[in-house]
Amino acid sequence: MPPFPMLRRRFLCTQTSNLSLFNQKPVGRQWPIKQVTKSNFSDSLHELKNKISDSDFVAVSLQNTGSYSSPWHRLLPFDTAEIAYLKAKYAAERFQILQFSVCPFSVRASNKLTAYPFNFHLFPRDEHKIGMPCYSFSCQPSYLTSMAQEDFDFNVCIYDGISYLSRAQESAAKGQMENPVSSGYVAQSPSSRSVADNVFVERIKSRVGHWISACKHSDTRTNDVLVNSLRKLILGGEDYGLRPSLNIDVCSERQVQLVFEMVKSGYENVVPLIIPAKGGGAQAVRVVLTSSKEDRDLLEKELQNMEEEQSKRVRGFREVIDLISTSRKPVVAHKSLNDFTFIHSKFLAPLPSTMDEFRSSLHSVFPNILDVNHLMKEIGPLNKYTNVPAAISYLKRNFFAPIEIEIPQKASVEESKNHGHNVVRISELFAKLCFILKIAPETETHNPDGPSTLKCYSNVLNLGSNSFQDSNEDDDISAWTHNPTKISINNLLFLWGFRSGTSARRLKNLLCKSHEKLSEDVFDVRLVDKNCAVVVFWKTGLSEWFLTTIDSGDGELRELAAEGLMAVGYEAYKRVCKSEILGADLADSLAEFDREASEAHTEESAEVYWNNELMINLDDL
Amino acid sequence: MLLLYRASQSRGHEEVSETVKEDIGMKQHWMVRAISKTLTLIPIPFHSSRASFSSPSSSFALKNVTRSNFELSLADLRRHVRDSDFVSIDLEMTGVTSAPWRESFEFDRFDVRYLKVKDSAEKFAVVQFGVCPFRWDSTKQSFIAHPHNFYIFPRQEVGAYDPSYEFLCQTASIDFLAKYQFDFNLCVKEGISYLSRALEDAARLHLHSTHEDELSESPCTTKEIKDVPLVRMADILFVERMRNKISEWHDDLLQIRNRRSSQIPEDSNDSMNQFQTIFFRMRPAIKLNGFTSRQLRLIKSVIQKSFKDLAYIRVNGASCLEQFIVYTNSRRDLELLMKEVKGDLCKEAEMKIGAAIGFRHVIDLLSSEQKLIVGHNCFLDIAHVCRKFVGPLPSNLEEYVTLVQKNFPYIIDTKILLNASNVLQLKMKKSSTSLSKAFAILCPHIASGVSSSGLAPSSVTVEVQVDDMRSSNWNSGAKHEAGYDAFMTGCIFAQSCSHLNIDFSSHSMLMKEEKLQKYINLLYLSWSCGDIVNIKTGGTTTESSAFNTFKIQPTKILFPNIAIIWGFPSKLKAREIKESLCKVFGLTSVTSIYHLDRTAVFVQFNKSELVSDFLELKSRLEKKNDAISVFHPLSELLEGGNTRAASYEVYKEICGSPISKVLFADQAEAVGINLNTKLLENKVQENGSFANSQSPIDTKTADIKQPLKCTSGSSKFPKGEMLDIVSC
Repeated sequence: MPPFPMLRRRFLCTQTSNLSLFNQKPVGRQWPIKQVTKSNFSDSLHELKNKISDSDFVAVSLQNTGSYSSPWHRLLPFDTAEIAYLKAKYAAERFQILQFSVCPFSVRASNKLTAYPFNFHLFPRDEHKIGMPCYSFSCQPSYLTSMAQEDFDFNVCIYDGISYLSRAQESAAKGQMENPVSSGYVAQSPSSRSVADNVFVERIKSRVGHWISACKHSDTRTNDVLVNSLRKLILGGEDYGLRPSLNIDVCSERQVQLVFEMVKSGYENVVPLIIPAKGGGAQAVRVVLTSSKEDRDLLEKELQNMEEEQSKRVRGFREVIDLISTSRKPVVAHKSLNDFTFIHSKFLAPLPSTMDEFRSSLHSVFPNILDVNHLMKEIGPLNKYTNVPAAISYLKRNFFAPIEIEIPQKASVEESKNHGHNVVRISELFAKLCFILKIAPETETHNPDGPSTLKCYSNVLNLGSNSFQDSNEDDDISAWTHNPTKISINNLLFLWGFRSGTSARRLKNLLCKSHEKLSEDVFDVRLVDKNCAVVVFWKTGLSEWFLTTIDSGDGELRELAAEGLMAVGYEAYKRVCKSEILGADLADSLAEFDREASEAHTEESAEVYWNNELMINLDDL
Repeated sequence: MLLLYRASQSRGHEEVSETVKEDIGMKQHWMVRAISKTLTLIPIPFHSSRASFSSPSSSFALKNVTRSNFELSLADLRRHVRDSDFVSIDLEMTGVTSAPWRESFEFDRFDVRYLKVKDSAEKFAVVQFGVCPFRWDSTKQSFIAHPHNFYIFPRQEVGAYDPSYEFLCQTASIDFLAKYQFDFNLCVKEGISYLSRALEDAARLHLHSTHEDELSESPCTTKEIKDVPLVRMADILFVERMRNKISEWHDDLLQIRNRRSSQIPEDSNDSMNQFQTIFFRMRPAIKLNGFTSRQLRLIKSVIQKSFKDLAYIRVNGASCLEQFIVYTNSRRDLELLMKEVKGDLCKEAEMKIGAAIGFRHVIDLLSSEQKLIVGHNCFLDIAHVCRKFVGPLPSNLEEYVTLVQKNFPYIIDTKILLNASNVLQLKMKKSSTSLSKAFAILCPHIASGVSSSGLAPSSVTVEVQVDDMRSSNWNSGAKHEAGYDAFMTGCIFAQSCSHLNIDFSSHSMLMKEEKLQKYINLLYLSWSCGDIVNIKTGGTTTESSAFNTFKIQPTKILFPNIAIIWGFPSKLKAREIKESLCKVFGLTSVTSIYHLDRTAVFVQFNKSELVSDFLELKSRLEKKNDAISVFHPLSELLEGGNTRAASYEVYKEICGSPISKVLFADQAEAVGINLNTKLLENKVQENGSFANSQSPIDTKTADIKQPLKCTSGSSKFPKGEMLDIVSC
């Protein structure tokens, strides 16, 4: 700590605040952001790699084709962590990323932000004709429209966007690529061979031997075109580049192995390659004859380079993800649950079915994720500021946190083609928050093992009002944003069957009038969408009473039931969220699941009864 | 795009690449031609229609219509459609199939085919709509065509968020559109939006019901809006200040009215800028400017509490909401005012709904004018039109046909025409009936842009008019643009009619033409399998392949004989599956095997009982799971424990599901979970002791097939002994 921190900060601030004001003219602020498409991808990748290794943090921001299909698919205040994950998963599996901005940055002297923003345009083109990375994706028109208003260039994305394959897709695709592969066959210990194996090996051996001697023989002969082509026809050989080669058809993995073993043991200067079949597996083995040991090494090196090039092309944009992952730098994001479900599903592997599996899978790739939303919560109830610019302007109004942004790189600042500002704003917001919370980001990253203040903020996947570090607390949720009291999900009910468009107030009045137990102050009603409402009871036990009474139909809540009102507990909602299709209308989905559950319920109880009987019998014995 | 996918549906991948290649070839050809010829655009005055006859080929762009010129173009189009003899249409969509297995298969029954088309029309968006009215000009002995290319985008303009606007993009289709320089920016930013009839009705209904609700509540009594709690000192001061200001104004107003003096209270206070005294509907009022929403709420509560003869009113102004405090001289006057304001709001909302109809005006026009609609392989196109502009598609083909018939009573499909007519088959020289091929063969004079002199007498001339530009040998060259594709379709139809010796000059209407009756209202459900539906009668037929020798159906498909198997080890090929099934059920038991994708096959048995036999045997084997069943011939198929099987009806159910997983096995599982959990539980209950994980679908089919149970089954099997061991 410097001797007079306050004074010094003050002093610095008056200068820099002017500066930052100058930099941050509110309208039309244009940072030079490097725009990356297919054509400049490999150059930019190299540049990005250097910038990441020079920086302390990497901020990421995504531009997707949509985020929810129906109003209730958004994160709602009464969603548990698990449900928030399921909803994010649902969106990540349907929508597509069109832009991915990455910004390696460092914060020095507590208020100087040095950033290198890159904006990658993506499109999931099937470049290798293998039906990947995705067959189709959804678009939310309102999302696209608002993107268009910000002058988003769809043509650049679709025409020149970079494609990619996820890690899981890459390994699945390896077999499908129609390029010869040399590696992969580790010579296993010569296993016991059957008679058929031996016959096969001998046949191939003589064929290869014959072919090699013929090839060597032909070198001394005159280069008669006709003779050469006749020979080729008879021997079945082809040229592999400048070297002669021979294709050996195989019909099983076992035969591939045998050919490899035979070649490796019998012929020093012959390199075997696998020619993959379309549906995976091997179609043939191609053996290539080299002229010497050096030539063989050369060929093997060539092959290796080729494979590397090939897999680089296959990975496409995922290289960037791999870069960030291997750098082990902390990744800064806003709405991290949303962003990382997208990243996981598009670039790593299909999303697992539970939050815990997702967390551990993600952690193995990105060990350190910082959510600015979570940092925001440290300084106040900021649930309202769900977008980055609003959060920044809030901080500007209420705190003194001048940050000087420096972007050393040059990029064309063309008004219409300069996208990806959000990632710089996230970096700025992060620097501001660190300033306010008195975290010195530069010291943090230099002692990764030591006690770190930032550590306690990391890996809290955060979205909206709930933070989900501990999955044990999933029975308690903070119900209303204005009234952050924790209530058990058992006190929640979902109500539907009222006339579409009825207000929450009117519903509450209706419930109040229906029974004396339901006085004004023991419950509250909120609308989820126009056909479904959620009721929260402030007293435990009331929700169970309500459910059983309204289900019985002729009980004390007969009037409500007669009006067609239906209610289910939180379990049904959970089940709906777990299902394959969430459904556009929550009431319809709940009704569907409720019907199924009630049918299953009777059987379930029957089963319990049957078990009881069995137990009694056992006791008797 | 449509062309390509039509081809892909029909003849597999070779054809696709061929078509693409052909397209690229054509494109180059056009470019060369475009350079070598002088482009002469001949603007003609409005009425002199003969100006440009037999001019050199011109290539002005066709009429592109976006939001900005929609109103004007619609007015022109109305005129052209009214005068036209027929209207050709073509659509470009964001995709065709939502999963590979949703492509058209030989083993699809009519109802399944409809479900697949329905799925496509529900999920994908239409981004371009080509409309081209053709009018016969008997003085010139030529058709006049007006190709229009509408960019449309499913932007939701009115109503609560409706999920049906969300759409799917098939990556390959988007890529394809990009290859033909489709402008996605123009589409999203300037595309014309639309509102289907069903959604319009819903919006109006909603509007009226809320309007009536509000009217039924008298304006004063139910305004039980809670007071904004005055927690902050500033609020209390503000409220007090407002109360004073308003009462001052109020008193002044009354004084003026009472004394009839002309003394206007000019307050120099700058806060008076926020109170602008005006007249609102002939009543004195204050317009409130520059208050925050919280302040406005406070003002509202003050008015309600303290001033009985003042009303707080909010209306939609030119750019934003405007707030007024209005003086009313009686309670009746207040009610009247409220009614007026609400009526205005309602009218405004109505206007908005009307404006949101957008592109549907074009469809309404085509429908109400009852013109002959011409498309090329247009079953999917028509389904899109119905889904997007009329309403949700019915669940079965019969109802759908009625829906189409009601809206478009006369449709002709040029693909049907070309394949069904002997004369045209000869003219086509049995070549491919893809749109661009047919256009090149039937209308070479238009396709190549040769001047109209020296044509074969049978060639129909088509003059193109775009705004004030006219040309008798026009060619924009923009293939796979809906407007141009519609133009090509129309030209093919006109030329075909000419070959069929139809006289355009006779005054009878084209759709009443005797020679067309054989073809009208017939559409290909699937062109590759020759499945045709008659949208007049709802009848379905399979095309007699007299003229299409290349489309031979090897065996008749018997749907009750078909089982569908999925989830087996992916290394298994059709041949191996057939072998293992034949080992159990006899050499001739399996008629054919067809891969849906790498995870699923159709198996057609020679007898329908074999389907249930197979399903039963399968579930028996799975329950056993002992050493002997390992040697069973089916064990290879059942390896891994994920193999599922079902009858054809379950396939239909799976196709009808809104879910679309890429692999069929995943799809079946997803659908199964949703529909059949209870059946699974049921079965487990019944069987009690069995702890096996039976597939829900299996259970279901087992349930269905129970009455058909074939107990003597094992005696039919050639390898009966082995089965006995297994089953005992």
